Amino acid sequence: MKMWKMSVLLTVASLFLVLSAAQAGKIDEIKARGTLIAGVKDSQPPFGYVDENSRQIVGFEPELCAALAAKLGVKLELKPITSSTRIPMLEQGAIDLIAGTLTHQIAREEKIDFSITYFPAAQKLLVKADSGITSVADLAGKKVGSAKGSTSEQNIKKAQPECTVVSFETYPEAFLAMKQGKVVAVTTDAPILLGIRNSDDNPADWVIAGEDIAAEPYGIGVPENDSKFRDFVNISLMEMWKSGEYQALYDKWFGEKTNFHIPLTWTMELWP
Amino acid sequence: MHYSFNWALIFSDEYGRWFLEGLSITLQLSGLSIILALVLGTMLTTMRLSRIKPLVWFAVSYIEFFRNTPLVVQIFFWYFGSDPILPDFFKHWLYQQNIEFAIGVIALSTYTAAFIAEELRSGILSIPKTQLEASRATGLTFLQAMGYVILPQAFRIVVPPLISQFLNLIKNSSLAMTIGVMELTYMARQVEAHTFHGFEAFTVATLMYLSLSLLVSLGINQYNRRCLRVSR
Repeated sequence: MKMWKMSVLLTVASLFLVLSAAQAGKIDEIKARGTLIAGVKDSQPPFGYVDENSRQIVGFEPELCAALAAKLGVKLELKPITSSTRIPMLEQGAIDLIAGTLTHQIAREEKIDFSITYFPAAQKLLVKADSGITSVADLAGKKVGSAKGSTSEQNIKKAQPECTVVSFETYPEAFLAMKQGKVVAVTTDAPILLGIRNSDDNPADWVIAGEDIAAEPYGIGVPENDSKFRDFVNISLMEMWKSGEYQALYDKWFGEKTNFHIPLTWTMELWP
Repeated sequence: MHYSFNWALIFSDEYGRWFLEGLSITLQLSGLSIILALVLGTMLTTMRLSRIKPLVWFAVSYIEFFRNTPLVVQIFFWYFGSDPILPDFFKHWLYQQNIEFAIGVIALSTYTAAFIAEELRSGILSIPKTQLEASRATGLTFLQAMGYVILPQAFRIVVPPLISQFLNLIKNSSLAMTIGVMELTYMARQVEAHTFHGFEAFTVATLMYLSLSLLVSLGINQYNRRCLRVSR
């Protein structure tokens, strides 16, 4: 019984410690720690993935985080996240920020805060090159593959109520179902589709088609109610755009020489 | 810890409807699979107890194979693995249909049939051998003796373990979500993904599974007690 009481006391005490740590600003906390802990994707090239040779997480988003860490004058530590773990991990303080293809949604504002958009993705379709499908209208009465819990799943149902959505655990599974002919299209953010397409043995068999089904603006996820930290992230992103550092980074991962060529056609929101 | 509970959200029009749709698919999936599994299980156990060697071998290898491989692997095998061995013209037609649901039913019933066959066999073996001999002596064929004398008694004896198999099947039906069947667990995850209220979503799903299972087990027990009671 005594042991039991003791463990309850300890739990309560540690809870208080965690809470009081959360009271201090994120920036002070990071500086005191000497490291910025960033949550990034580890299987989503080119946003964040494990490099085959170095066994390190590399990509567009890890380098964005590296720039933020440099501005704070601290080291960078990368933690792998998935779409379903990222928001709880940020809430619990396991990571300082999320830079992992996180769409800025109003519904998510209830739990965390967001930076300005750093990547304006849009939802598209991936179809067989000879399928004749060129727009969402062609999907009426057909089956479309997607991944569970994604915003794409909901958007496609709205855009084409007459199609049947079949959702899988991951996008590679949805792609396999399309290769077998079980679904006629896979839908999600265009950069992710590009990654799936280029991972195939014959990328030329597949094309990205259709209009923009929905905007998927990616923002950096930061803890709720810490406006100093959010200001820091926002202003850093804008400075990177103005200095050309952002464009150089973009060119490295999405430029013409890469497998993921997406022309840079947008302008970041810049505050005067 | 600043989790704010919001139960009203779960029972709102949209999300409430999702849960009901999911529950309805779970019911259809489990109901169809239970019937098929019972039929298939009975056939298997009859084969296994027959004296015809190839049938016995088939039944034994079927039961061991399906009992000893994970259900998820079987589901993926039926769904993704069956593709290369199907003829093209048939595939084209088949994939336009609701193949995900059909594969769910096939996987669940073939898997559960192996367990039901074993339960039934133990029930049959518990019936004195003399009964089979006596019925054969009166001129019934093996199948007639099984159908009229042995199986009706065996079924009554194995009702309690069969209930466990049915309940297992209902719970296993949640695995059909891995191939995109929109059953109850799928819908609960869907609600969680849209609302970020996982605690509420999964509590509702848990309660739905619990009441479904309790209803099934109560119902069958009552039926057994009232209508099938045998004095032994």
